[in-house]
Amino acid sequence: MAMLKTILGNLLRPPRTRDPADMPEVPPVYRGALAHDAARCTACGTCAFVCAPKAITFTQEPGVSVSWHFFIGQCSFCGLCAQNCPTRAISLQADAPGATNSAAGDGLRLESVIRLQPCTRCGAAHVPLPDATIEALWGVEEAERGYCPECRRRAASEKLRAAFVPAEEAHHDR
Amino acid sequence: MNLIERVIAISRRRSPWICRLNAGSCNGCDIEITPLLSPRYDAEQLGVELHGTPKHADIVLISGTLTLRSREAILDIYAQVPNPKAVVALGSCPASGNVFAGSPLVLSESLDSVVPVDVWVPGCPPRPQAILDGIARAAKLLEDGATKSQLESRRGRLS
Ligand code: SF4
Ligand code: SF4
Ligand code: SF4
Repeated sequence: MAMLKTILGNLLRPPRTRDPADMPEVPPVYRGALAHDAARCTACGTCAFVCAPKAITFTQEPGVSVSWHFFIGQCSFCGLCAQNCPTRAISLQADAPGATNSAAGDGLRLESVIRLQPCTRCGAAHVPLPDATIEALWGVEEAERGYCPECRRRAASEKLRAAFVPAEEAHHDR
Repeated sequence: MNLIERVIAISRRRSPWICRLNAGSCNGCDIEITPLLSPRYDAEQLGVELHGTPKHADIVLISGTLTLRSREAILDIYAQVPNPKAVVALGSCPASGNVFAGSPLVLSESLDSVVPVDVWVPGCPPRPQAILDGIARAAKLLEDGATKSQLESRRGRLS
């Protein structure tokens, strides 16, 4: 009798099998495909440094741009790059990458171009800092916003000097 | 293509037989094939059947890092698969060597340099449904006569 009940129950229940398109929900911490936000990236190279399989590389066109390259066929989805990116430019998406027909090249590579900007003081091309970082460091108004790293260092040391050495003394050893 | 060839091509897509080849995998990708054959993800709903011998297979699933020793085995097994055939590469390892690239016993190159690969399934390891999607794509390519080995043999026949 018990067996009949089980059989009847199984006949009435919907199947447990999933359709190929019916993907189960991924957990929130699932590490899927990489996404990169060029506006937040400072091209610091930390992601390429921590990536064990060397899936991330950089190329540059001097004076114009720096490109961040990612090859999914070399990634082990460990998430170290996203964890170590100081500006959170890299995020691991919740969806699984799909299969591709193409050869190992196309469709599996991601390129993200970071345009260089001229320094507002000396004109040297540099990778601009992300807006959030600039606002945290200098606020919205300051002139340092558009400076290259060299001019930023200069401006910072000038400020430091001005804080320690009175203005008239600082004047003659310039 | 005459009617009978057409029917055979459609039947092959409706029931592709696969065989699995571990070329030096960490076993992650192979473990993901097991749930694919279970009732949950049920590869047989697409007619996919796993076979132990390459001589019965239409599609070869190759997983894992290519090593100096597995290179010969891959070529040997690939040669035993009857035409027409398709190759599906699972995971990052066959595409590049993944974290093992650069090791002295590992061929740090793409599987494409050993056998012609038709479908790449990214992931480390890929999800069962991504593997199923890869198999379905390969089966479609087989039906269309568009796998690399089919194109190659057609080119050979023409010239
Ligand atoms: S993505 Fe992040 S870690 Fe990588 S270079 Fe850009 S800022 Fe640095
Ligand atoms: S997830 Fe890991 S393997 Fe993939 S690019 Fe980032 S650091 Fe490299
Ligand atoms: S791709 Fe990842 S899971 Fe698959 S064999 Fe390579 S290391 Fe293992």
